[in-house]
Amino acid sequence: MEMFAFSEAAGVEDAIRAGAESGTAQQGARVRFVAGGTTLLDLMKLDVERPLAVVDINGLPLDTVTKLTDGRLKIGALVRNSDLAYHPDVRSNYAVLSQALLSGASAQLRNMATTGGNLLQRTRCMYFRNRALPCNKREPGSGCSAIEGENRSLAILGTSAHCIATNPSDMNVALTALGAVIQIEGTAGKREVPIEAFFFEPGDTPERENVLDPGDLVTSVTLPPPPQNCSQVYLKLRDRASYEFALASAAIVASVDNGTFSYIRVALGGVASKPWRSLEAEEQLYDQPVDEASFRRAADAALAGARPQSRNGFKIELAKRCIVHALGVATAS
Amino acid sequence: MRPTEVFAPAEPPADGQSARKNQLAVTLRVNGESVALQIDPRTTLLDCLRETMRLTGTKKGCDHGQCGACTVHVNGRRVNSCLTFAVMHQGDDITTIEGLGRPGSLHPVQAAFLEHDAYQCGYCTPGQIMSAAALLEEPCGATDADVKEAMSGNICRCGAYPNIVSAIQDVRSER
Amino acid sequence: MTVSPAGSSVPRIEGPLKVSGIATYTSDFNFPGLLYAVPVCATIGSGTIAGLDTSVAGSMPGVQAVYHRANIGRIYRSAPDEGLGTHLDERRPPFEDDVIRYYGQYVAAAVADTYEQAIAAANAVKVTYDAKEPDVRDQLEPEGQPNLDGERGDPDAAFDSAPVKIDQTYSTPVETHNPIELHASVAVWDGQDFTLYETTQGVVNHRDVAAEMLGVPKERVRVISRFLGSGFGGKLFPWPHSFIAAAAARDLNRPVKLVVSRDMMFQNVGHRPRTQQRIRLGAGSDGKLVALMHDSLNHTSILDDYQENCSEATPYSYSTPNFRATSGLARRNVGTPTSMRGPGAVPGLYALESAMDELAIALGIDPVELRLRNEPNKDEGLDLPFSSRHLVECLAVGAKRFGWSGRDPRVGSMRKNGLILGWGVAGCSWIAERFAAQVAVDLRDDGSARVATATQDIGTGTYTVLANVVSEKTGIPANKIEVVLGDTNLPPGPISGGSMVTASVIPAVSQAIESAQQRILMAAIETEGTPFYGLEADALAFSGGIVHRKNEGPERGMAFEKILAKAKARSTSGLGKAEATFGSEDRKFSQHSFGAQFAEVTWQPEIARLRVSRVVTVIDAGRIINPKPARNQIEGSVVMGVGMALLEATEYDARFGAPINNNLADYMVATNADAPQIEVTFLDYPDRVLNDMGARGVGEIGLAGIAAAITAAVYHATGVRVRNLPVRLEELLA
Repeated sequence: MEMFAFSEAAGVEDAIRAGAESGTAQQGARVRFVAGGTTLLDLMKLDVERPLAVVDINGLPLDTVTKLTDGRLKIGALVRNSDLAYHPDVRSNYAVLSQALLSGASAQLRNMATTGGNLLQRTRCMYFRNRALPCNKREPGSGCSAIEGENRSLAILGTSAHCIATNPSDMNVALTALGAVIQIEGTAGKREVPIEAFFFEPGDTPERENVLDPGDLVTSVTLPPPPQNCSQVYLKLRDRASYEFALASAAIVASVDNGTFSYIRVALGGVASKPWRSLEAEEQLYDQPVDEASFRRAADAALAGARPQSRNGFKIELAKRCIVHALGVATAS
Repeated sequence: MRPTEVFAPAEPPADGQSARKNQLAVTLRVNGESVALQIDPRTTLLDCLRETMRLTGTKKGCDHGQCGACTVHVNGRRVNSCLTFAVMHQGDDITTIEGLGRPGSLHPVQAAFLEHDAYQCGYCTPGQIMSAAALLEEPCGATDADVKEAMSGNICRCGAYPNIVSAIQDVRSER
Repeated sequence: MTVSPAGSSVPRIEGPLKVSGIATYTSDFNFPGLLYAVPVCATIGSGTIAGLDTSVAGSMPGVQAVYHRANIGRIYRSAPDEGLGTHLDERRPPFEDDVIRYYGQYVAAAVADTYEQAIAAANAVKVTYDAKEPDVRDQLEPEGQPNLDGERGDPDAAFDSAPVKIDQTYSTPVETHNPIELHASVAVWDGQDFTLYETTQGVVNHRDVAAEMLGVPKERVRVISRFLGSGFGGKLFPWPHSFIAAAAARDLNRPVKLVVSRDMMFQNVGHRPRTQQRIRLGAGSDGKLVALMHDSLNHTSILDDYQENCSEATPYSYSTPNFRATSGLARRNVGTPTSMRGPGAVPGLYALESAMDELAIALGIDPVELRLRNEPNKDEGLDLPFSSRHLVECLAVGAKRFGWSGRDPRVGSMRKNGLILGWGVAGCSWIAERFAAQVAVDLRDDGSARVATATQDIGTGTYTVLANVVSEKTGIPANKIEVVLGDTNLPPGPISGGSMVTASVIPAVSQAIESAQQRILMAAIETEGTPFYGLEADALAFSGGIVHRKNEGPERGMAFEKILAKAKARSTSGLGKAEATFGSEDRKFSQHSFGAQFAEVTWQPEIARLRVSRVVTVIDAGRIINPKPARNQIEGSVVMGVGMALLEATEYDARFGAPINNNLADYMVATNADAPQIEVTFLDYPDRVLNDMGARGVGEIGLAGIAAAITAAVYHATGVRVRNLPVRLEELLA
C-alpha cells in the first residue's frame, strides 16, 4: 500500500471539495472516501485501489434512518448494514432488504459496512483483484482474463466482450426490487438517481461502473412508501452455507389479487454485471395466475438473454430455479 | 476538515530514522486505557494493536475480512480490525481479548470455551471469543442453527465448531 | 489428591492461555530493533527473470535492504536424507537462480523498519521476465514408467475374468492446508547464534535443516515453537521464507519478522497435490473381491519429487488374492507439494472406498455388508497379523448409531422434512507407528513434575496428553505437572506428524519416570533420616508418588518430595529414549487404526442446495488418553472432510499458472454453518504392541473416509456419482 494523505471530512461540503480533486470517481480515483472500509482497505491491500488521499467521512451526519412525511424511508449513507437490517421499519415494511443484508458477508462485516459502501461494492472477479493479471476494469485495454479463465462465479447477464464481472452485493438486489432512489451531492449540487440508472453495464468502458463523478458523495438512499399487501422474499443460492457471495439470488416483491399477480418486482443478484431488474420476468407475471407454469415462464424470460461463459453456464438453470422457488415462497398462502 | 497532518512529521524524529515520517497523532482507548500514538495512516487497527501496542492476542489470519481471527469490539460491536485504519478510531472504545478477561477472572465466554474444549490450536480462538461475546448482545435467535450462522464469520480450520456452539449456548442459557 | 489419570476428560492445561490471548504464537514475538520482511513473488508461472530493479524500493522510507539472488549471500542446500531425518520438501534455497518454476516463487524481499514500509517497498521492486507458457494442467500423465508399489497373484487375469467389475478413475484437486495461523519466522541473530521462532510442526528437524542451509553448526541454531496455530502437515518441514528471514537477520544484525500472507500460503508453503487414481475391482457375485488394482498419479513441482502414496492403505484394506498398486508423478509448474492431513490415505481411500460403494451398487449388496464380506484376517500386503483391527465392529456400531438398517437403497427414495436424504458409508484407516523420542522428566521437591521434550503441540492436545501420562504413571496430579515443549534446547522429540506423537512419547516418558524414580530410591537409601536409610534399592517400590518397602503398603512410606528434601535435592531428572517403529524392517505386526464413517446429506433439487446434515464416526485407535481433545480431533476432521467433499479446490489459471482463488473467500473451507451434526464413538481397545498404554493417534484418521461417505450419500440422494472432487452443485443440476 502506498502512502496517502489521510483527513477527516468536517462536513458534506468539505468531503465534496476533497473528492473533486480526483480525476475520476471510478476505478483509479486519486481521492477515496472511507466509511466502513471493508471494500476500500481490501482493495488497497491488493494495490487495486491506490488513492493518494483518503477522506474519512464517518463523522458526517448521514447515519440515521428517517421515515419521511410522504411515507418514504430515507436511509443515510453511513447507516451500517447491521443497523439497517435490524431496523424495525425495515424488518416490518422492507423485509426483502433485511433478508438480503443478513444473507451477506458476516456479522463483523455488517457492523462495519455502510449503505453507501455496500452500494459501491466492487466485483469479486479474481482477475480484477490480482494486479499482476490483465483486467479491463482495473487496467482499461489490458484485456479480460476471466472470459477464458476461471469464470464460474461471474456474470451471464449484462456482460460485454470486455468484462463479465458480477456485482456482488445482496443489498443492491433488494434495493432494486424495492425501487430505491440514490441521493447524491456533488460540486453541481444535489441530484437523485433511481437505482436502475445508477449502475452501468460494462460495455467497452468496464472501468466506469456508475454515475458518480469526482466530488460526488452518496448521502442517502430512499425507499418508496412500503409496497401495500406485498410479500417480499430474498433467496440466495451458494455453495457454502454462509459467508459467501451469491451464485444466484432473487429478490421478489409481489402482490396477488384474485389468484393473479397485481404487482410484481423481480431483481436478480450474482448473475449480472449490475443489480439486475428483470422486466422480462415481471411482464410474464402480471395478471398471470399464481402457479408454477407462470413462474417458469417468468424465469425463462429472465434468462433468455443470458450469455454463459466456459464455466458458468449452470447459472442459467440455477437462476431459473432461484426465481421459481422465490416466487413460490412469496406467493405461498 | 481536520488539517491534513500527513507528509509533515508529527513530531521531531526521535532517533533520526525515517520511520517517523508521515505519521499521524491519534489517541486510542483500548481496554479502558487511553494511549497516545504516532502512527502511519496505512496502519490497520489490527497491525496497530499487534505491532505497535504489542497486544498480540488479536490475530491475523487473512488480512482481508475473510476469516474473523482479528475480531475486536469497537464501541461494543464486533468488527474485523484488519479492514479499518487505526487513525479512524480516535475516541472509539476498543476492546480486545486482553481486555475481556484474564486467567483467574475469565469472561463467561472464555470460561465456557475452556470447559467445552471449544478450540484446538487456539489461534482463531480470540476472534471466536470476541465474536461470541458480542453475539450475546445481538438479536440472535435461540437455536443452534442461529448461533452457527451468527458465528460463520469466524473460520476455525481445526473445525471445533460443535464445541464452539455448545460453549456459546451454555453461556446464553445462564443469562 | 485429585489425580487426573489418562482416560478422563480434563480441560487442556494450556487452555487458559489460549482463551485469554496470552498464548504466544510465532508472529506474536517482538524484539527491540525488529525489522519486517516482505517477499516479492513472481508474477509468471514459468520463465526467467530478465531484470530486477530495486532502486526505487531501496530508497523508500524506512527500507533497510532489498534482497535478491545477487545479494542474499550464500544459502546452502541441505543434502537428501533417508526417510524424514533432515528433511524439507522444497529443497531449492530462495533466490538460488533466476529461473521461475512456479507462480509466486520468491524473487526478492524488502526489509524495512515497519510492516507498512516493507509492503510498499516490496510492491515497488520492478521485475521483468522472459516468460514461458506454464504447465498447470489438471489431467495427469505419468513421467516415465510408473512405480510398482505392490503386487500379489495375477490381478489382470483375475480382473478380466471377474463376473462383476468396477473400473473408474477418481481425482482429487489441489487442496491447500490453510491453517488460520499464517506461516511466519522471527529470526534473531546475536552475532554468533540464531534463535529462530518458527511456525513448525518439527522444531528439531527445522533446526537441523536450518543449520545446514545457513552453513552453521547445529548448536548455533535454536528453534522455538511454543504454540502453533495448526499446520495439518503444511508446517512439518521448513519453507524458503524461513531462510530469507534468517539470512536478513544475520546480514542486518537486527531481528527480522517475516509473515507469509494468505495469498502466498497458496504458492509458497506446499499443498496436497492433485491426484488421479484408477481403481479396478473384480468381484464374484457373492461380493468377494478377486482382484484389486490401484494406479495412482499425483502432480509434483519441477524440481522436487513429492510422492502422495495414494495406495498406502490399499494393500491391507480388503482381502483379495490378486492385487497391484502402481504410482507415478506428473511434473507441473506448481510450488512443491507436501503432506496434508492423512497424506496418501485420505485421497487414496476416497478413491478406493468410492469404488467399493460402486461395487456394492453393481452387486446389489448393502455397502456395509460388502465390506464385511471382504474383511481380511491378516495384512495380506505385508503377510503379517494386525496388532489390533476392529473395523468390523466399527461398521456394526456405526450402522447401529446411524440407523443404517432404515436405509432404502433406491436413489432419491428417502425424505425428511421435504428434503431428499442421501446416506453413505466408508471405512477409514491410518498408520499406527512411533517416531524416535527423548523425554526428560524431573521430579521436584515441591511434589511437582516437569516433563520436557522438543516436540510441539500443534493443537492436538500434546501438552495435556503428556500431563495425563505423567500423572497416571507417577500419581502426581496434572495441575502439578509442568509440560515444556517446542524448543530445540530440550531433549529431541518427534515431528508432529502422522498422528504419532502420543504413541511415540509414551515409552520415553515411562523410561524417564523410571529413571527419575530410581534416583529417588537411591537417594532414599543413601540419605540419613529417611526410613529407608541403609536398605537396598531393590527392596523399595514407588507407588502413587510414595516410596515404600516392597513388603509394605504405601501408607507406611514417604512421599518422594520429602525424600528429595531430606537429600537436599531440588529434583531428580530422568531421561527416556524410545526408538522409532516407523520405517522399521523388523516388524511382527501390521499396525493401523481403523474406523467407519456414515454420512447423511440433504438435497433440495428445486434450489440445488446440498448440505451434509449428519455424520457418525466410530474409531478404533487403541486406548484414548484424553477423550475430550480426541473427540475434538475427529469432529474437526469431519468438518474438514465436508470442505474436502463439497468446497475445497485450488484452481490454477492455465495461462498464467497462478493459483487464482488464493484467498479464504474464493478457496472455501467449511464455516460453522456448514458443520453437520457429528457423533463420535471410540472403541477403546488398547494396542499394547505400540506402547505400554496401548494408545495410538487420532489426528488424521477422521478425514480418511469422510469424502467417500459423503459422495456415496450424494449418489444415493441424486443419482449422480461424483468422481472428481469437490462435488459442485452444477454437476447435480441436470
